[in-house]
Amino acid sequence: MTAATARVAEPGTATVLARAAGAEWVRLRTVRTTWWCLLAAAVATVGIGTLAALDEAEMAAAIGSTAAATVAGEYGTMVGQFALLLVVLLAVTSEYGSGAIAPTLQWTPRRGVLLAARVAVPIAVATAVGVLLALVADVLAKLLAPDLVLSSGELTGSLGGVAAVLVAGGVLTAGLGFLMRSTAAALATVFLLQLVLPALLPAFGELAADVGELLPGTGAVWVLIDALGITAGHATTLLVGWSAAALVAGGWALLRRDAG
Amino acid sequence: MIQVRGLTKTYGARPLAHGSSAVRAVDDLTFDVQPGKVTGFLGPNGAGKSTTMRMVLGLDRPTSGQALVGGRPFATLAEPLRAAGALLDAQAVHPGRSGRDHLRVAARTHGLPARRVDEVIDQVGLGPAARRRVKGYSLGMRQRLGIAGALLGDPAVLLFDEPMNGLDLDGVRWVRRLVRGLADEGRTVLLSSHLMSEMEQTADHLVIIGRGRLIADAPMAEVMRGEHAGRKVVVRTPSTDDLAGALLRRGLQVHPTGDGDLLVEGATAETVGDVALETGVAVHRLAEQQHSLEEIYLDLTGDSVQYRVAGAPEPAGQVRA
Repeated sequence: MTAATARVAEPGTATVLARAAGAEWVRLRTVRTTWWCLLAAAVATVGIGTLAALDEAEMAAAIGSTAAATVAGEYGTMVGQFALLLVVLLAVTSEYGSGAIAPTLQWTPRRGVLLAARVAVPIAVATAVGVLLALVADVLAKLLAPDLVLSSGELTGSLGGVAAVLVAGGVLTAGLGFLMRSTAAALATVFLLQLVLPALLPAFGELAADVGELLPGTGAVWVLIDALGITAGHATTLLVGWSAAALVAGGWALLRRDAG
Repeated sequence: MIQVRGLTKTYGARPLAHGSSAVRAVDDLTFDVQPGKVTGFLGPNGAGKSTTMRMVLGLDRPTSGQALVGGRPFATLAEPLRAAGALLDAQAVHPGRSGRDHLRVAARTHGLPARRVDEVIDQVGLGPAARRRVKGYSLGMRQRLGIAGALLGDPAVLLFDEPMNGLDLDGVRWVRRLVRGLADEGRTVLLSSHLMSEMEQTADHLVIIGRGRLIADAPMAEVMRGEHAGRKVVVRTPSTDDLAGALLRRGLQVHPTGDGDLLVEGATAETVGDVALETGVAVHRLAEQQHSLEEIYLDLTGDSVQYRVAGAPEPAGQVRA
């Protein structure tokens, strides 16, 4: 084929988006970092989650009660989510560090398409893996401590909560990544918002605790371990609100700013 | 075909802000890059070459003006690699991915088969190294990988920013033949390089910019005849003083050369010959000075060099004896 070849009709947006999503999947699986992060997530979620569930089972037995096996997946996700969110973050920010965002945007110059693919694919991967790991932790805890209760209803609700936390955290992370374009800065911010501040602020008095109730991590902690005494509506508002705000800000940066 | 129309890029403060410190990296640039030719894109560091290429590819947003690739803004294309391929920065690759995987990602965005990836890997001579991770590549291997990416979609337009950096002599000769061949197939090729001798051998047409502005947009042959830089003629005569006086009265600049000849600036051999005839002096030698592209380039861009080594001599073209 030469430059003189007649133009064929351009594919539609759905095709372009599907191809971009396929490319994101190839990007994810062709770097070792992704697999190291998933390994870390597996160790953290299954290991720590199962230990926590065994502890719960022992305490429940001491007072003649029973505990749910799903605490394994929930406690495990509290910790393991950060390895999964790192997969999402690196999918966004690593290209700003290396400059590889320039070839990426030469291949997919419609930035809305890149935004959609780059948010959807890594978050779908992180969420699917996270839910699977939570399930493994729950089942493993039940096998090791048969006293733990594992009902299908509770399991569905629990895994749904894990998925919601990972999707919300993933969108927050991707948005901050697009906005900050720096792995270190965005990672520190996600860590503070999602875990450190919600856990620490209540220790610094009532005012600080009030601020803590406005952070996305408070919603995540409520969904996972029902702590921090807020309502379901409050938690949902936090998760959806923060994710949406981060996505709007990050999307604006990708669509309007120079490539970087 | 690349069309650049009034392209302007301002960094820093808003253009209207008081005491604006805005930098005009590219300033109202207009030119076409024609198919079937190698167009050399020249200019000192910071002249705006890379920024212009980035705007053509939709990476940076112009402050005003526009650039079209094959008649359309690049950033609107569904299959951009079929319209234009580019190598801007060979280092801009994820170091942890293999060269082949890097190209597979690109191919995936256009629905191209893996066979096409292996074709371009063979074409650039990356061979078995393509399966190794990019972090172990030399600059020359990265250049080859970048060129492979540019060729992947078999595009009508190619942009190469300093593709010969880091290549050994074989590599440089290979790029020269490749670029020549791409233009001969009817493709549009825009090539920036700091290697003037290389450019002299490769380009058919030159676009020269300085401080973001267009300095010259002309066929190589025209530039080499010195039509855009100051022409210089060397004349030998036994009546040096008479001829120098006559030339000076015509408003020409005349300098004695070390060996008794006269160097006349801004004149053609015809002019100097006619003046000698009118003055009635004998001429023993009359020659238009042949310049290398390097000398002409330095002459053209001498005023627009932004970064110069402290204490370094003025470029040769600017020296006034």
